[in-house]
Amino acid sequence: MTNNKNNPTTVIIGAGQSGLAMSRELTCRGVDHLIVERGRVANSWRSERWDSLKLLSPNWMNGLPGQDYDGSDHDGYMDVAELIGRFDRYAANISAPVRAETTVLSVERTGTGFRVQTDDGAIDCDTLVMANGACGIPNVPAFASELPAGMASHTPHSYKRPADLPDGRVLVVGASASGLQLAREIHASGRDVTLAVGGHLRLPRVYRGADILTWMEIIGATRIPYTEVDDIERVRRTPSLPLVADETLDLNMLQDMGVEIAGRLATIRDGRALFSGSLANVCAAADLKMNRLFAAIDEWVARSDLGDLIEPAERLASVRIPESPRLQADLLGEGYRSVVWATGYRPDFGWLRLPVFDRKGRLVHDGGVVGDGLYVMGLPYLRQRRSTFIDGVGEDANALAEHLTANLGRKLAA
Amino acid sequence: MNVQTVKKSADNGVNVEALLGAREALSEAPAAAQFTWRANCEWLNGVHSRSTVEGFFGLGEEQRHTRAFAIEADHPPQFAASDAGATPVEIVLSALASCLTAGVASVAQNRGIQLHSVKATVEGDMDMYGILGIDADVRNGFSAIRVNFDISADATQEEVEALVAQSQKRSAVFDIVTNPTNVNVSVA
Repeated sequence: MTNNKNNPTTVIIGAGQSGLAMSRELTCRGVDHLIVERGRVANSWRSERWDSLKLLSPNWMNGLPGQDYDGSDHDGYMDVAELIGRFDRYAANISAPVRAETTVLSVERTGTGFRVQTDDGAIDCDTLVMANGACGIPNVPAFASELPAGMASHTPHSYKRPADLPDGRVLVVGASASGLQLAREIHASGRDVTLAVGGHLRLPRVYRGADILTWMEIIGATRIPYTEVDDIERVRRTPSLPLVADETLDLNMLQDMGVEIAGRLATIRDGRALFSGSLANVCAAADLKMNRLFAAIDEWVARSDLGDLIEPAERLASVRIPESPRLQADLLGEGYRSVVWATGYRPDFGWLRLPVFDRKGRLVHDGGVVGDGLYVMGLPYLRQRRSTFIDGVGEDANALAEHLTANLGRKLAA
Repeated sequence: MNVQTVKKSADNGVNVEALLGAREALSEAPAAAQFTWRANCEWLNGVHSRSTVEGFFGLGEEQRHTRAFAIEADHPPQFAASDAGATPVEIVLSALASCLTAGVASVAQNRGIQLHSVKATVEGDMDMYGILGIDADVRNGFSAIRVNFDISADATQEEVEALVAQSQKRSAVFDIVTNPTNVNVSVA
């Protein structure tokens, strides 16, 4: 095995929770490695999040391998500053070999290994773990270019606070976790919000007295392996869990505060936003899916004999649909001055010069194994639903580190 | 956690295996999945016309139905017409109902749910000020469409609602009606 600063056995790209967890696993296995990070540890958390963001998972779920949450507020939801502090501490504790402020420009194969070209020289390695996250590039639709001139356009990467937006109405596109939160805080700032609602999920924070994520853990919903999922590709593309720190936030509550909901933003044409007429369907589908999760929880409770210890089931009222949801908006004419595209993300593998993508440009992998010494972490449902939870990366890191070291011998012998 | 699923079986007459097979085959052959549907229409008299559907393009070549289908359209006496067929807008409503109904049957088949009867009523509201040109702010088309399904099946209410929800999600006509579509009309 090589032990050269510019020729490590493994390069990990990204010093977020996945990269750090993988570093610990490799250190435990005696595999020398380097973490290449374009910013600092927890870079995305530092620079691509809005001011008021708190984690949507309770603190007991936000530990890293070997560093469980050790604060006093197990059921609370930490803010991003606290999370960054924990990551900094973790990186120090595991002596993570981070080369910070180093941007990867390209990755190519060389013989049996890889050449990682950075803006600070090249690094050759035998194996590569891509841990640069699932949220590199916001999925802004092509028709965003049709937005009238003069309107502000933000994604959750660039949006920091309501005061940065011009006065006037705001169109928030997308009703998952980001869209719901941003619609609420922007509307509360005195700017009327219209929220365009496409396919989405609905979840309360609490069900029968316990956090909904706690329930999902208890009934095993977060641990079903990717190999046992019917149509894993579709499941990997489902919208994010619509949870917001310490309270329920849904479309009824937003409408109660005066946010207007409309159907999916279909396109922008001649300065008009056109919305789909399918709002009733996407809301009904979200309610049905939520109720199926409740039924699974109720079944678990019924089998458990915990009886009176658990609060009785109480179903949520279905989402109210406006009598006649708007089908279009004359953006400038009706006073809209900004759009926030809460339309999800895709990972950024633009620097990866390998034929490992499908016809839609998505990375092809088997539970994080791309092949021939190349691995990926942090993608939705990489190996199980917990893959994208902060405390889920440890299991993935362990499994992939096992695979990496098992195959290393073969690689080096080749 | 022990997860056991009992695969129910149903016979709603939908060849789901063929559909799933097609889905798998076509995911490797995107060109074959490009279809063009057609209808030819001939004016007969007044506002009465007849459309004929027979040929379409798909799976890489010209195809034909097993026979030609004729759909006549007209307007009723209330519009001073000869009522030789349903109005075009009523044909659109029946297309929506048929597409959703076919979806319900297909999804039910795939989920092993036995259907006994499926009936849909469709209503489309229309303010005549639009097509009569009385008020430019009134649209020509429907201001609202309502579909109600009455379904009898070996399934819970929630399972039936899920069938209907999924049917909309994968319905061509639902998409056509709820989302913008480019229409290009030319003259020979």
